[in-house]
Amino acid sequence: MNPRHIRLLIWKEFTQLRRDPLLLRLLFLMPVLMLVMLGYVVGADVKNLKTAVVDLDHSATSRALVASFEASGYFRIVRHPNDERALRGLLDHGDVVVALVVPEGTERRLRAGRSTELGVVVDGSDSRTASTASGYSAQIVSAFNRRRIEATGVKLQAPGIDARVRVLYNPGLRMVDTMIPSLIAYILLISTMSIMSQSVVRERERGTLEQMFVTPISRGEYLIGKTVPYMLTSIVQMVTVAIVGRLWFGVPFNGSPAVVLSGLFLFMITAVGLGLLISLVSRTRTQAQQTVMFIMIPSMVLSGFIFPIESMPAEIVPLTYLIPLRYAVVVMRSTFAKGSGFDDLAFQLVAMALFAVAIFGVAVARFSKRLAD
Amino acid sequence: MGQAATVGDAATPRERVSSAPSSDMAISVRGLTKRFGTFTAVDAIDFDVRRGEVFGFLGPNGAGKTTAIRMLTGTIAPTAGSALVLGDDVIAKPEKVKRRIGYMSQKFALFEDMTVDENLRFYAGVYDVSGAEFAARRRYILRMADLEGREDELTANLSVGWKQRLALGAATIHEPELLFLDEPTSGVDPVARRHFWDLLYDLADDGVTLFVTTHYMDEANHCHRLGFMYAGRLIAQGSPTEVRAAYAPDGATAGTLPSIEDVFVHLVTAHRDRQEDGA
Ligand SMILES: Nc1ncnc2c1ncn2[C@@H]1O[C@H](COP(=O)(O)OP(=O)(O)OP(=O)(O)O)[C@@H](O)[C@H]1O
Ligand SMILES: [Mg+2]
Repeated sequence: MNPRHIRLLIWKEFTQLRRDPLLLRLLFLMPVLMLVMLGYVVGADVKNLKTAVVDLDHSATSRALVASFEASGYFRIVRHPNDERALRGLLDHGDVVVALVVPEGTERRLRAGRSTELGVVVDGSDSRTASTASGYSAQIVSAFNRRRIEATGVKLQAPGIDARVRVLYNPGLRMVDTMIPSLIAYILLISTMSIMSQSVVRERERGTLEQMFVTPISRGEYLIGKTVPYMLTSIVQMVTVAIVGRLWFGVPFNGSPAVVLSGLFLFMITAVGLGLLISLVSRTRTQAQQTVMFIMIPSMVLSGFIFPIESMPAEIVPLTYLIPLRYAVVVMRSTFAKGSGFDDLAFQLVAMALFAVAIFGVAVARFSKRLAD
Repeated sequence: MGQAATVGDAATPRERVSSAPSSDMAISVRGLTKRFGTFTAVDAIDFDVRRGEVFGFLGPNGAGKTTAIRMLTGTIAPTAGSALVLGDDVIAKPEKVKRRIGYMSQKFALFEDMTVDENLRFYAGVYDVSGAEFAARRRYILRMADLEGREDELTANLSVGWKQRLALGAATIHEPELLFLDEPTSGVDPVARRHFWDLLYDLADDGVTLFVTTHYMDEANHCHRLGFMYAGRLIAQGSPTEVRAAYAPDGATAGTLPSIEDVFVHLVTAHRDRQEDGA
């Protein structure tokens, strides 16, 4: 290992990077695009849910309750059927996605200090809408109860309207707050993989890879010279995403930087290893990009990054354990939202370490072997 | 494979290669073999290249020329056989050999998105050419490649002739004693080709050993000695005149010898027929 050779290779890589518009675009435009796309579109709060209200109580309380739903901005009341039986049709046709049923006698029971239930019917075909809607309903109802108690000044025995759903950890149910921490891991994966594989395949296409091994540059020096620059660029990318997420989207960070950094470091080794492996199986840059997509799609779908693993069919769930991004997503989310420590995340971190060692090890071994043939 | 082992031996100017490899030679190869799986790309070849010689390595596509060069430059490990390069065992000590040899391929292996100067700087660093030495080499190469004043141009913007000469400069920046050139002139116009061979002769005059593969038969005539590869085997070797004489019809005089191209075609078809008969 000659440090001068490594410095030279890193200089070369950055010189080339500066002049490669495709790589530069990949490097800096992609995280920004993904941030905007996922931050605003996928991560956007569910708002203006079309709602039907069946008010069987026709009381001041029922009207105030409905009004507080409407005032939240999350529910837009579009129908007022007189009968619960009409709801089925409305939900079936997608005219509404949420229905509130205020039973007869709500006000009377509350006055008597008894509890009563509010019926919330949610269209479950979009699980995200459904969970968001039930979460918001629960919050609106409990706020309504609190106001009622404060207004009457009486400590009532029963809490009033029953709210069963409890939302843990992400009380605002802000999708961005879970999206951006995982996005950091996702961007790390996709950009490290594509840039690594692109730059190695390009060197093979142009014959400079072969040339390198006729010179006194050793395989180890070459690998370090190749991976270090892209590790540095992915660190810059991650920091950008984290800063934008923190300042622009106001994502809270409650965790320990040491845990996040350990997780990301292990994940970065995995991503570099995958990038090298891709460059070994791809002959052209286009093929390399296609292979990246081939890995990205299952990673996106099966990691819990976008679709919650809890709502996947039981037969699919075991597959998710094969997706390295799955562990990174848990680490990022838990540290950001819950401040989880090393012991909480031991399983994930060990799994990531195993993936890192296995994938990077196989990649380096195959890379040396391939060059020897 | 192997049925063509002794084809044409009687008529072939197959120099008697001594059985032991010689460290006085620039290259001394015995039984060098490379198999990829069950396919034998290079099949037990023996030859010597003298120091200061221009050795032409000929053969049809897929004959195994590049594979042989890759073994001689220490890029890939042979399956069997031995190879002394500049007196050192390239299999055991590839690192030692690599500093003393240069390699230029058909692809030129320049970084297209780096400037002329950056390419030279890079290859100088790779061979640990020191600052003062580099300044002198750089000046020399820029003049040789006719690139003075174009140091800051992107390599991608150079036309092929200039790229080729820059690649030669990069491959010789550390003043190697032995230079491998794998089809260095393909895709280059005849004038640039002539110019390039002038540069190769300059190197040869300076005592550099050249090992060149080519598909241009006029270039083969420029070499001191030739080796013909076919299907992984070395089927003939000798000086251009020796080779031409060996395949001349009876009674041919110096003026009526077949051309190298005729010999090449003759050798290839004869071996192909042999193999088909054998199969
Ligand atoms: N890494 C490899 N794996 C498998 N087969 C290979 C490998 N490298 C070369 N070959 C095969 O070995 C044979 C010899 O190839 P080589 O490139 O040495 O030929 P060549 O004489 O240089 O041909 P050309 O004139 O076309 O450059 C070819 O059939 C080729 O397909
Ligand atoms: Mg070849």
